[in-house]
Amino acid sequence: METEVASSEKPHLPNRLGVKGWVWAGRYTLERYLYTLHRLTGLGLLLYVALHLGANGFRLGGEESWTSAIDFLTNPFGRVVEYLVMAAFAFHALNGGRLILQHLGYTLGKPKPPIYPYVDSMRRRRLLTWVMLAVIVALAIYILVEFVT
Amino acid sequence: MKETRLKILQYITGIGLFFFAGTHLIVSHLSSGEPTTWESVSGRAASAGWLTLYLLLLIFGLYHGLHGLRTIILEFSFPNYAVRVLDWALVVIGIAIFGYAAYIPISAF
Repeated sequence: METEVASSEKPHLPNRLGVKGWVWAGRYTLERYLYTLHRLTGLGLLLYVALHLGANGFRLGGEESWTSAIDFLTNPFGRVVEYLVMAAFAFHALNGGRLILQHLGYTLGKPKPPIYPYVDSMRRRRLLTWVMLAVIVALAIYILVEFVT
Repeated sequence: MKETRLKILQYITGIGLFFFAGTHLIVSHLSSGEPTTWESVSGRAASAGWLTLYLLLLIFGLYHGLHGLRTIILEFSFPNYAVRVLDWALVVIGIAIFGYAAYIPISAF
């Protein structure tokens, strides 16, 4: 259903927990921690893109300017940052795909009669979460091997 | 624009980024050659296909990143006028970054 209220007309309630609420407000589920990690990787990638676009500016200075910038950035610390960016991208992309599928209702499964012990929708989606995490770990290891070799 | 449409655009740009940024990362960071040498960079800059990819990556990345940032900031409960200021500030920042970042590959094409 489409939201009829524009953001500027929404009543705003105080956010009492602030950033602390990203990490702890009682017992969180696995998906809630993935949500926090999604934000952290998103902010990290945004920072990296800003620096990347700034570094691209050296291209305007010609070959010498570009080569000296690349030489400056090519060091072990730069490689670690590059790896972290690749791993963060893999996580953010796959978790984002899972969120899109969930938000659009594709992972809800067929309705079942409410027979005890009840299985809530979050637990029905859990398999997808574990599969996604396994793929992310496999990708992170693959990228690490590619970087090291 | 309605929040639902902004969110759907976030999904669409996210799916687009999976392919565009994925291609960029594989070619520029994972390939076994020397993708960051002046010759490689100049070679890609002369290609209309790469230019199109970079511009799409920039547009999709800027929308996705700035809308994501807006979502995080708006959780901290601001009055309505501050939300409008934030929206316009992000639009201006997005256009400014696009102008600067798009000029680099376009000027090299």
